[in-house]
Amino acid sequence: MTTRRGFLRGLGGAALALPWMESHGAKTLTSGVAKRMAHFYVPIGVVRRGFFPGEEDATIPKGNLGTLRRSLDKQDPNFNVRSLDQLTPTMTPLSGLKNKINLITGMDRTFQQGTDVHAQCASCYLSSAPPYTIKGTAWPLDRTLDHLVADVAGRETPFSTLEFSCNSHKDNKESIYFDNISWYGTGHLAPSVRDPRKMYRRLFSTKEIERYRDVTDLVLEDARSMKKDLGYADGQKFSEYFDSIRSIETQMDRLESMKGELAKVSFDEPAEAYLPRGEYIRLMGDLMVVALQSGLTNVATFMVGPERWDTPYLFDGLFDKPMSHHGMSHNQTKMIEQLLKVDRFHMEQYAYLLEKMEGVMEADGSTLLDNTLFTYGSGLGDGSTHQYNDLPIIMAGGGNQVKTGQHINMPEGTPLANLWLTQARMMGVKMKRFADSSGEIEAVKV
Amino acid sequence: MQLLGLTFLIFLSTLNGAEVLEILHDNCAQCHGKGGKVKGKVNLLEIADLDHLKGDPELLQEIIDVIDFEEMPPEDEPPLEMGERKQLLAGLEALRFEAVSEQKAFMPTPIRRMNRFQYHNAVQDLFGLKGTVYSLPERMIRDHGGYFKPASGKMDHLVKVGSRPLGKSQLIEPRLAGVAAFPQDLRAEHGFDTQADHLSMSPLLMESFLKLGQSITGSQDFGPRRVGIWKEFFILDSRDKREMKVVVRERLQKFLRRAFRGRVKSEVVERYAGFVDVQLARGVEFSEAMKLVAAAIISSPRFLYLYDDSGSDGDGFELASRLSFFLWGSLPDEELLKAAESGELLKEEGVQKQFGRMLKDPKLKRFCDSFPAQWLQLDRIISSVPDPEKFPEFYFLAYRDSMHMMMEPLLLFETVLIENLPVTEFIDSSFTYRSGHLEESYGQLGNPAQKRRGQVVVLDFHRVPVEDRRIGGVITNAAVMTMTSGPERTQPITRGAWLAGVIFNNPPEPPPADVPTLGEKPKEGEEHLTLRERLSMHRERSDCRGCHEQIDPLGFALENFNAIGKWREKYENGRKVDMEGVLFRKHKFTNVIEFKDILLLEKERFVRGLAGHLLAFSLGRQLSPADQIALDEIVEKSATEGYRMKSLLREVVFSKPFRAKASQANK
Repeated sequence: MTTRRGFLRGLGGAALALPWMESHGAKTLTSGVAKRMAHFYVPIGVVRRGFFPGEEDATIPKGNLGTLRRSLDKQDPNFNVRSLDQLTPTMTPLSGLKNKINLITGMDRTFQQGTDVHAQCASCYLSSAPPYTIKGTAWPLDRTLDHLVADVAGRETPFSTLEFSCNSHKDNKESIYFDNISWYGTGHLAPSVRDPRKMYRRLFSTKEIERYRDVTDLVLEDARSMKKDLGYADGQKFSEYFDSIRSIETQMDRLESMKGELAKVSFDEPAEAYLPRGEYIRLMGDLMVVALQSGLTNVATFMVGPERWDTPYLFDGLFDKPMSHHGMSHNQTKMIEQLLKVDRFHMEQYAYLLEKMEGVMEADGSTLLDNTLFTYGSGLGDGSTHQYNDLPIIMAGGGNQVKTGQHINMPEGTPLANLWLTQARMMGVKMKRFADSSGEIEAVKV
Repeated sequence: MQLLGLTFLIFLSTLNGAEVLEILHDNCAQCHGKGGKVKGKVNLLEIADLDHLKGDPELLQEIIDVIDFEEMPPEDEPPLEMGERKQLLAGLEALRFEAVSEQKAFMPTPIRRMNRFQYHNAVQDLFGLKGTVYSLPERMIRDHGGYFKPASGKMDHLVKVGSRPLGKSQLIEPRLAGVAAFPQDLRAEHGFDTQADHLSMSPLLMESFLKLGQSITGSQDFGPRRVGIWKEFFILDSRDKREMKVVVRERLQKFLRRAFRGRVKSEVVERYAGFVDVQLARGVEFSEAMKLVAAAIISSPRFLYLYDDSGSDGDGFELASRLSFFLWGSLPDEELLKAAESGELLKEEGVQKQFGRMLKDPKLKRFCDSFPAQWLQLDRIISSVPDPEKFPEFYFLAYRDSMHMMMEPLLLFETVLIENLPVTEFIDSSFTYRSGHLEESYGQLGNPAQKRRGQVVVLDFHRVPVEDRRIGGVITNAAVMTMTSGPERTQPITRGAWLAGVIFNNPPEPPPADVPTLGEKPKEGEEHLTLRERLSMHRERSDCRGCHEQIDPLGFALENFNAIGKWREKYENGRKVDMEGVLFRKHKFTNVIEFKDILLLEKERFVRGLAGHLLAFSLGRQLSPADQIALDEIVEKSATEGYRMKSLLREVVFSKPFRAKASQANK
């Protein structure tokens, strides 16, 4: 467990002081502490050799095998559970946390013919709807796991969910399907926030609420005067506008009542200055942790980078010039070393957040990580083969609700939705089935 | 059974109301009322007297439709002779006219919020934005080379397009970062996404609007390079020595007039100006305060809602909005507002002038981005997934042929509009637009010289003459043939229902819930049958017959087109395709060209159907019997100009229901 000092470690230019306080997570009736869920999304898959146990000598894909969409080598098709002793090179940053995680391999999603392969890997990751089940759209996009869970676990918090994306690109090179994993439903995006300052203000600034109030007051006044100009029937229908505004005001009241509590949080507003990639990701991560810890939300999603997006980044400390993750993924024969570095870098950020959560003490003596299901995963099993099968998934946290320290290999053809069903039920959602699920991942259950 | 002819007074040109009622009682009540038999939920014996019948224009309309489309009496009952049918129809129509005239006015369109498409366009126009606010997959065609030039009156021979919903990377376009759309408003069944009863507000949506407004003006891209009114609205002119309060009010006055589409009372200006005053007093910087007030204005119900002001004195603003939301899917521009203010829109010539100007404006693309795809129900092609094993050629790379298919009918529509061609081109066109990929996917109906190229981003579509009349028009194209089929086989009933609804604007009732649909694959022992034979065995219930007699011949007429729109003479089991039929009980056809000829012969039915779709789209409501009379007039008037597209649109705009409110005030 980290000490208070360690917790208050500053970060680059952003003078950061994380609060030392008990979690204010919304209390549930049964246990004393709220259950939380978070998802850490890794774009463009991973290098299989580095990530998956037993694939150290796997074939290195040549170039872009975008139309292949399946594995080059045969993975173990049988169910088995091993203890997680030896970690693969990409997973090494988690070595101190082995007893807090499960590596789950052998789970698949299904691509729906009709869009670019990358377009569905992030956007449909958390809904996992079977192809062609959603009418009128080329994306098999449904309400995502985070919102389904928040329908139950996020009713009392000011924000039912929060969406983070560590996409620091200034251009809008890609469409919304590449920068978001969270959706209220088909065609209804829960937009991710990329700017730490924006997220900070959303979480802590009372100014934002004041502005909202100003606007709602103003438009309500406008609505009242407009109602006089309407005929009887139109006036009746128009009451939907008043009702809608009123229920938003209730929501703001809830947030405002919490602001007093939040004033105790000493988290400085991030500066506008450029942050090296690692610090930027960790700052976004700190914001997520503090939001989960303080009860601002119980459900969060976190993209460590956008899907596809060819614009190069500067991965400070890894390479001396900006590199495109996507570009490299199509050139594994030449760039495998660099790609492995990127995969490892992403894992380090995940490990950082796990440690951070492990360092937050809850009211009952457990840690934030104990009360959070925090899952690492990607929508592609490999950036070159563009396969939707055998995805890299690590599930951390969950405390004594979860059996940990295992490598679980699921039988061939197990839908990823089985894990989502397992998590939804652990979070208290009563559901029979999740998308194309065929059961739960029993091996993680105690 | 008594023969109808005996009760008819054949020498009278029009039957009077009492005679009409008598005929209905004597001849139709057998199945519609007598002895507890109430087929099609129509009980004619409940209609005791003439006043009752006249008091129910909806029922009158229903009776007119079934007789006009020769759906009643059913085939196994004695028919009406042509003369009798005409007389009965004339009598019924006269009754309808009386019934409608007794009703005071046209059905008003209820208050409704803007749909997602209109909101997008209105925001774009209000701020003079370059690029989009957010990407709209429902705008199916992406124009890559700037081919859409309505003022030129001509479509290019080569157009470069992309399919937003199905193409590769077609939603990547200049847009405002951090702005997320609210969900798409779906079209009403047999209707449009403009229909008022579908456009309501909810807390979740209201929150979206509040956030949306703030995210738009707060976007990092919302600045001088993208925003057309940046300088005039958001930047303080240092040379302007007037008091800040005066400047703010002057700017808001102008902005609010655009946003709220009419005269703005000083109290409203003052309300928003007061908001700016407070922000400035709090130390908020000028541009920032103006961004905040602009965000508030586009969250106001006066912006978000389309409605008729019950207290208005009919100064033309309502008509200006109606015109611009119809043809531009957006707010009126300055010129239209001026025409409304000056009273120009209260005069025929004034409307004519504005109408002509609007058709030449590039904003007409919004009409082409909304009406035709919804009219043809083309969203259905997005969900079409032919069986990959049976139709492997439908799939290429990670994509589907539907990406190319959907462009064809839409480009035909745009050409007919821009070049002002007769709307009969929609039935039987003399040209079409094809990509090389599409040519190949058509098989023998395509041009074999064209190589399949598998374009997925920018698609080259060439204008080619239609020499084989089996193709051409909005019916026998690959997109429609595919989307009205199941994964494994064609669905003649679905196709028939599509034709009845889209082409004739006379959609059939949905099938009763207790009838199972015909399986995709033949049952054991039925493999040797044609689809028609299988279907006729499947539906033996007499209460199904009424509808099926109407839609079946329409659907079976297209049986030569398989489930992905390719031509075939034979089914897989070797049996010859049996597509022959009789339309409106009088026109026999033995091939699809003859079928098209009949549709052309009866073109008034199609034109009337299209006019009805246009009117419903523009008014944002379903049509009522009162509108039917207007439709007759629209068809009659546009006939004098050979049913050209722009004349049809003009007659819609000049029709009584379109102008109802304005014309009332005009009296």
